[in-house]
Amino acid sequence: MAGPATRGLLATALPLIGKRVASGLLTLLLVSMVVFFIAQLLPGDMAQELLGQAATADAVAALREKFGLDRPAPERYLRWLVGMVTGDPGYSLVANMAVSDVIAARLPNSLLLAALSALVSVPVALTIGILSAMHRDARLDRGLNVATLSMVALPEFLVATLAVLVFSVQLRWLPSIALIPADASPWLVLRSLAMPILTLSVIVIAQMARMTRAAIIQQLSQPYVEMALLKGIKPARVVLTHVLPNAIGPIVNAMALSLSYLLGGAIIVETIFNYPGLASLMVNAVTSRDMPLLQACAMIFCTAYLLLVLIADTVAILANPRLRNR
Amino acid sequence: MTNAIRSWVKALSGSGRLGLVLVVFWLLIASIGPFLAPYDPGAFVAHDVFAGFTGAHPLGSDYLGRDVLSRLLSGARYSVGLALAAALLASLAGITLALLTAVSPRWLDEGISRFMDTLISIPSKIFSLVLVAVVGSSLPLLLLVASITYMPGSFRIARSLAVNLAQMDYVQVARCRGEGAAYIAIREILPNMIHPMLADFGLRFVFIVLLLSGLSFLGLGVQPPDADLGSLVRENISGLGEAAPAILMPAIAIATLTVGVNLLIDALTGRGRRMAGKE
Amino acid sequence: MRLSRRQMLGTGLAGGMTGLLLPRLASAQPRRGGHITAASLSSSTADTLDPAKGALSTDYCRHAMFYNGLTDYDAQGQPYLCLAESLESRDQMTWRVVLRDHVKFHDGSSLSADDVVFSLLRLQDPASGSKVKPIASQMASVRAVSPRDVEIVLTSPNVDLPSILAQSHFYIIKAGTTDFSKANGTGPFRCQTFQAGVRTLGVRNEDYFREGRPYLDSLELIGIPDEVARVNALLSGDVHMIIAVNPRSTRRIRESGTHDLLITPSGLYTNLIMRRDGMPTGNPDFVLGMKHLFDRELVKRALFRDFATIGNDHPIPPFDPLYRADLPQRTLDLDKARYHFARVDLPSTPLPLYCSPAAEGSVDMASVLQEYGSKVGLKLAVNRMPADGYWSTHWMKHPLGFGNINPRPTADLVFSLFYKSTAAWNESGWQNERFDRLLLEARAQGDFALRKEIYGEMQAIVAAECGTAIPVFITLIDGFDKRVKGLRPIPLGGFMGYKFPEHVWWEG
Repeated sequence: MAGPATRGLLATALPLIGKRVASGLLTLLLVSMVVFFIAQLLPGDMAQELLGQAATADAVAALREKFGLDRPAPERYLRWLVGMVTGDPGYSLVANMAVSDVIAARLPNSLLLAALSALVSVPVALTIGILSAMHRDARLDRGLNVATLSMVALPEFLVATLAVLVFSVQLRWLPSIALIPADASPWLVLRSLAMPILTLSVIVIAQMARMTRAAIIQQLSQPYVEMALLKGIKPARVVLTHVLPNAIGPIVNAMALSLSYLLGGAIIVETIFNYPGLASLMVNAVTSRDMPLLQACAMIFCTAYLLLVLIADTVAILANPRLRNR
Repeated sequence: MTNAIRSWVKALSGSGRLGLVLVVFWLLIASIGPFLAPYDPGAFVAHDVFAGFTGAHPLGSDYLGRDVLSRLLSGARYSVGLALAAALLASLAGITLALLTAVSPRWLDEGISRFMDTLISIPSKIFSLVLVAVVGSSLPLLLLVASITYMPGSFRIARSLAVNLAQMDYVQVARCRGEGAAYIAIREILPNMIHPMLADFGLRFVFIVLLLSGLSFLGLGVQPPDADLGSLVRENISGLGEAAPAILMPAIAIATLTVGVNLLIDALTGRGRRMAGKE
Repeated sequence: MRLSRRQMLGTGLAGGMTGLLLPRLASAQPRRGGHITAASLSSSTADTLDPAKGALSTDYCRHAMFYNGLTDYDAQGQPYLCLAESLESRDQMTWRVVLRDHVKFHDGSSLSADDVVFSLLRLQDPASGSKVKPIASQMASVRAVSPRDVEIVLTSPNVDLPSILAQSHFYIIKAGTTDFSKANGTGPFRCQTFQAGVRTLGVRNEDYFREGRPYLDSLELIGIPDEVARVNALLSGDVHMIIAVNPRSTRRIRESGTHDLLITPSGLYTNLIMRRDGMPTGNPDFVLGMKHLFDRELVKRALFRDFATIGNDHPIPPFDPLYRADLPQRTLDLDKARYHFARVDLPSTPLPLYCSPAAEGSVDMASVLQEYGSKVGLKLAVNRMPADGYWSTHWMKHPLGFGNINPRPTADLVFSLFYKSTAAWNESGWQNERFDRLLLEARAQGDFALRKEIYGEMQAIVAAECGTAIPVFITLIDGFDKRVKGLRPIPLGGFMGYKFPEHVWWEG
C-alpha cells in the first residue's frame, strides 16, 4: 500500500521522468545529427574502405550504387531517421546483417561487463569516499588518496597488460582473453571477466571516491552536522543518516558520469582482452564507414548515458526535497 | 615576497609540501627538460633495445634503441602542458556554463544541458578517432578533444552543485534582497563551489593524462617521433615482460605528476576551508 | 613447340599428388585429433566467408579452413594441384582444367564444372566487391565443357595461371551461392560457428577428399589486434598459434621454452613512392637521390631487428628463384645523393612525406630519411597519417609517400599489378614501354631460364628508373606452442601463407 509520502515522491518523479524522456529524445536526435555530420567528413566511404587497396574507380562506383551511397547525404540521413523512428535501425552492408542482429550479439556482453564493474566499483568507491571523509587528513585518508590517484593515473593499457602478465602468463590463474564460449559456466564467465572488471573498476573508483569524499566534507562543515554531533550522535551515524542524503546529488552525478564510461570507454579493455563489446564495434563502424551501425552504437551509448543521468537526478531530487520545485 | 612564499609553504600540510615539490619539479622539467636532454630524443643511439640503467644511458634505451632519459625529458612538456591547459579549459568552461544555467531562464538551461548531454554521450575515444581521421592528429586538436571531452563532466558536476546551492537559504535571502543574477552567481554560489570544483579539476587533470595515453594506445595521441608520457609507456609496452626502465620510468613519471598535482590541490582546498572556518 | 614448365607441372601431377603435398619431415607421423586456437591480426564486422571479399590475414585463414582452390602452394610458394586433377595448356592462353572426382561440398553435393565457372566469373563483377577484379579480368571466358571439365581462355598468354588460381580469392564455392552467413565449401573443416569480428570455429570435415586430412578435430580462429596482447595470449596458453609477432617480442617467446617461432622470409615490402607526375619527385635525379639516401642496414637492424632482407629497389626478393643477383646492391651513399639532389630544383619549404602505421615501418623509415635528408640539404616534413583511411585517401595521392605491398605468388603478378604502365596501382605513375613489352613477353615464355633473363632486365629497369624505393623485404614471424606440429614457412604470408588449417596437427 502506498502511503502519502510515497505518493508524494511518485508525483514528483513521474512528471520529471516524462520531461526527461522528451528532452532525452531531443538529445538523441542531436547526437544522431552530430554523428552523421562528422562521419560525412571522414575520408573515404564504405565502398572504398571495403575494397581497401583494391579500390579501383569502377569497383568503387559499382559498390556505391549497390549500397545506395550515391544518394545525397541528407536523403540518406532522413532515410535512416525514418527507419529508426519506425523501429528499424537499418542494415549493415559491411557485416551483411541487420544492424539489430549485429547489436544483439554485442550489447549483452557490454552490459554484463559494465554491470559487473559497477557492482564492484560503486560499493568500493562509496566506502573509500566515506572513510576518507570521516578520517579527513589522517593517515588513512592520505593513503587511500594516493593509492586511488596513482592507480587511475596509470594508463589503463598498462594496468591491463600488467594484470595479464601476472595473472595469466606467470600464475596462469586467469585467461588472458575474455572470449567466452556460448556454453560457458558462470564460473568461467567470472574468471574470464575478472581482469577486465578489475581494469575498468580501477579507472572509475577514483573519481567516484573522490567526489564522494569532497561532497561529504562539504556537508561536514554545515551547522547541522555540528548540531548533530553536539547532540551526541555518533559520527558514523551522522554521516550515514544526515550527511549522505544531503551530499547525494553530486555523488550520484559523478557516479552516472563514471558508469557511462564503462560502456563507451571500454574500448581499450575490449581491445586488450579481445572482448566483443559495443565500443570496439563502434570503432569498427567508424573504420569501415558503416553508418547505420555507427548510428546505432551512438544511440545506445547516448541512451545509456541519459538513463544513468535520469537515475542520478531522480535520486538527487528525492534525497533533497528543496530541489523538487526546480 | 620570499617571506610570503615561505609562510605560504609553511602553512601547507606535509603531503601538500610533497605535492608542491612534485609539481614544481615537473613544471621545471616541462620547461627546461628539452635542454637538459643528453641526446636527441629521436636519434637511435643505443645498439641494444630495452637496455637497463647504464652510464651512457642513465634510464636505459627504448624499443628502438633511443635514450629513455632524453625522451622523458622532452616528453614531459606534452603531458604537463597539454593536460594542464585542457583541464583548465574544461573546468573553466564547465563552471562558467554551470553558473549561467543556475541563474538563467529555463530555456537556456535546457539548451545548454542538452548540448552537453550530446557531447558527453559520444564516447571520447571514438570521438577522437573520427576527428583524427578527419583532420589528422596535432597538438591543438588533442587539446580541443581533451577539453571538449571533459568539459561536459565538469559542467554537470558544477551544475549540480550550483543548483543545489541556489536553493540554499542564504542565496534565497540574496534573491529576496533583489540582487542581480550575476551577483548571485559570482558572490554567493561560486565561492561555495570552489572546493569540490578544485578537487574535480585535479581529477580532470588525471583523466586527461589518462585520455592522452589511451589515445596513444589507439595511435591517435601525440605523434612520433614526439611522445608524451603516455605514448612513452605505450611504445615500450613490449618491454613490460622484462621490466625495462623504458616502460617503468614513464609510468613512474605519470604517477608522480598526477599524484603531485592532486596532493597540492587537496592541501590548498583543505587550507582554504580552514581559513574560511576561522572567519 | 616446347613443352613449358607449367605444362610439365600440370601433366606430371595429374592423378597422384602425394609427392608434393608435404616435403616429408624427419619428425613423427602426423597425429589425428585435438583442438587448436589460432589468433590472427584483426577481426571486425567486415569479416567474411566470401572468398572474393577476403581482405586481411584473418579472412584468408578462415577461407583456407572451409574452401579449396583449383591449385594450392607448396613450401616454395610454387603451385600444385588441389581441386584440379590436371591443368594444362599448349599456348598458355587456353587452359583445360579437369576436376578431381568425388569431391563433395559440405552440404553433400558434388563438385562440378559449373561451380568453377560460377566461382571464377563472379570475381569479374565489380558489384561482388571482388578484391581481384583486375587479375580475374584476364580470363576472357570460363566455360564448362563437361561436368568435370572446364576451359579457361585468357586475354593473353600467362604461364602463371596455376599460381593465380591458388590465391584464396579464387577458391571454389557452390554455384549460385549468394548467402555467406554459412560457408559451403569443399575445405578441410566445416563451419560450425562464424561470428564476424569475434570467432570462427571449424570442425573436421569427415568427407574431405584428401585422405587422412585434416588432422585436427576442430580449429578455432580469432583475431587479436594488439600485438602485446597476442603474445601474452600465446604465452599464457590461451591460444596456440599467433600471427605477426613483433621482432622485439621474439626473445620472450623463445625464452619461454614451451613456444617457438615460425620465421618466413617473404616478399612483403614497404616502399617509398615518388610520383612521376609530382615535383620534384618526377625528376629522375631526385628519385636516384632518395634511393641513395636509404640506410638499409639501419632500417633492417633498428626497425626490424634483423628480421628483414635488404632490398634493391625492385620487388623481387633475393630468395626468389627469379632474383637477379648480378645487379649491384644500392647502399647508403650521401655523396651520390648530394650529387643527384644538386641537379634537382629542390623546394625551399620542407617537402611533405606521407607515412602511416597502415604501411608497416613507414613511420620510422620516414624519420630515418628525414634525419639523413638533413645531412644532404633535403628538408622533409614527416606527415604521419592515421591508418584509418590511409589507402583510400593518401596512398599514391601525394608526390612523396609510402606504400605497403603484400607478397604475391609470382613475379608476373607483382609487376602487372604495381609496375605496368596501365595498372590501376601503378604506384609511382611511371611509364616504361620496354618494361611493359618485357612483361607480356615473360608471360608467354615457357622456358624458365629465358624468363629469368627477361625478369632480370625488368628488375634492372625498375631499380634504375621507377619512382619506388624498396629498402628491405620484411620477414614474417609467427609464434606457436611447440605442441603444434606441421608448420613450415610458405613465403606468401604468415601462418604458412595463411593455408595452415589442413597441415597442422596437435601433439598434446
